[in-house]
Amino acid sequence: MTQLDLAALDATTHRSALTQRRRDRMARIEPRGAREHTARERVELLVDAGSFVEITPLRTADGKGTGVLTGWGRVDGRSVVVIAHDAAVASGAIGAVFASAVVKAQRLAIDRGFPIVYLNDSGGARVPDGVFALHGCGEIFTLNVVAQRRVPQISVILGPCAGAAAYSPALTDWTIMVKGHGHMFLTGPDIVKAATGEDATSDEIGGSQLHTVKSGVAHLEVEDEAAALAETRRLLSFLPSHAGAPMPVVDAVEPDAEAVSALPFVVPEKASVVFDMNQVLDGVLDEGERFELMPEHARSILTVLGRLDGRPVGIIANQPAARGGILDSLASVKAARFVEFCGRFGLPVVTFVDVPGFLPGTVEEGRGVITHGAKLLKAYIESSAPVLTVVVRKAYGGAYIAMGAKSLGADFQWAWSNAEIAVMGPGGAVTLLHRRALAAADDPITLRDELAAEYREEVARPYIAAESGIVDDVIVPEETRGRLSDALRMLTAGQA
Amino acid sequence: MIAARADIVANVWKIVVREGDPVNAGDELAVLESMKMEIPVIASASGHVSRICVNEGQIVQEGDVVVEIDGTPGA
Repeated sequence: MTQLDLAALDATTHRSALTQRRRDRMARIEPRGAREHTARERVELLVDAGSFVEITPLRTADGKGTGVLTGWGRVDGRSVVVIAHDAAVASGAIGAVFASAVVKAQRLAIDRGFPIVYLNDSGGARVPDGVFALHGCGEIFTLNVVAQRRVPQISVILGPCAGAAAYSPALTDWTIMVKGHGHMFLTGPDIVKAATGEDATSDEIGGSQLHTVKSGVAHLEVEDEAAALAETRRLLSFLPSHAGAPMPVVDAVEPDAEAVSALPFVVPEKASVVFDMNQVLDGVLDEGERFELMPEHARSILTVLGRLDGRPVGIIANQPAARGGILDSLASVKAARFVEFCGRFGLPVVTFVDVPGFLPGTVEEGRGVITHGAKLLKAYIESSAPVLTVVVRKAYGGAYIAMGAKSLGADFQWAWSNAEIAVMGPGGAVTLLHRRALAAADDPITLRDELAAEYREEVARPYIAAESGIVDDVIVPEETRGRLSDALRMLTAGQA
Repeated sequence: MIAARADIVANVWKIVVREGDPVNAGDELAVLESMKMEIPVIASASGHVSRICVNEGQIVQEGDVVVEIDGTPGA
């Protein structure tokens, strides 16, 4: 057919009607308020250039569309399903049609095994839709949970997200918030004021500082929309498309040479002196990209995605530089969530241990540290992904067990030669075991120090653990990378 | 005024600075002892130490102010 014929064909009534409808639906709607981009622009920033394909582009609730853009695109060449709220249509409120469009996209992702990225910017359930809106929100939540066992889900908070629009992210794996613009709350300031009389700003009830530092509801704070979308792409680069899918393996990169030569000297000899655990990570893992989740929340534990021999791994590590590296309620929940996530998607968990114990006392017991600590135990016990544990210095009591001990199912557990593993630290143990001798001594302080030194050598040194086979071997720091890498190669053989 | 707070329930083991001392962001102001760990209290900004709020040997709760710094930069 010639060009002329095509033009003539396009002028036929049914063709021009379609063209007009498409033009109407695709008309640029200006971003509302402080937003930097429209919903469509956000999606296009997220996916590889030109790869976005919209699902049901003509679907509409009130002539302007559904209020949500759904479709798929590629990130680094791999398909992802994207669900983007359009705040320009009824403030992105979730009506019956909106919810049905979201569910359809979630279903596609679950059935075919693609990660889901939710770009959230919604005031919550659409009031005029009544129970139909609520029913639709509940269906979205249900598929959020169904998807947990199947595909990674990332939520990006780009505007005020209230009610249902805040609950759905809480049922996904990771939530990224834009500073100043992204908010998550059950209800906004006006309704809070009416309900309880409390005066609070949006930032105070649901800003990114609150949620990434204090509450732990969100897992990363970024400066602007572009950064949020770039970080989402980076996060996806560590994850398989679905449970059981091949890992995104890249070429291995040796760790930074300076960090490698520093590694034997990173851990201070004296067990009470703090250090930055990141130096251990630098000396062991592949140099290059890492993705730290919840960097500002419960800082005494690190949860980081990184690479070993090019293969993505989840790293859990006590951080002595923050609160001495203790485990408490918040640190336990943070670590448990990360281990559980790695387990669901087969990401090997590498644990670096230097923990003085669970923080005791009225405050922590009141926060339910027993329940929260148990979540960490459960996460390791249930993990079907490889678990490799390295005790780099001290591992006392219940915290020794909770940090991926052999008894919880770790595939391998090694201890550095200066490690101390015991039910309690030397000070406490000696006071308990030698109460009478200490009470009768002329110089109890000298006796205590002598007994503590003896205890450290005879009870706590890792050779007892190694001779019994509970620790697989005692190693020096510079052997760590080789041991981890050999074990990973064996445990992941047959996988991509 | 910038407050340097205890981030864990602890015993104040050592106060490193004195009132009036100039400090830079990142400087150690005091050392707490908790869980047999020496946990430093670090200045989050530069200025002068305007007040020391605790005594050595005292128990502090999480969130208690240990040292106050006036925000005058430099020194």
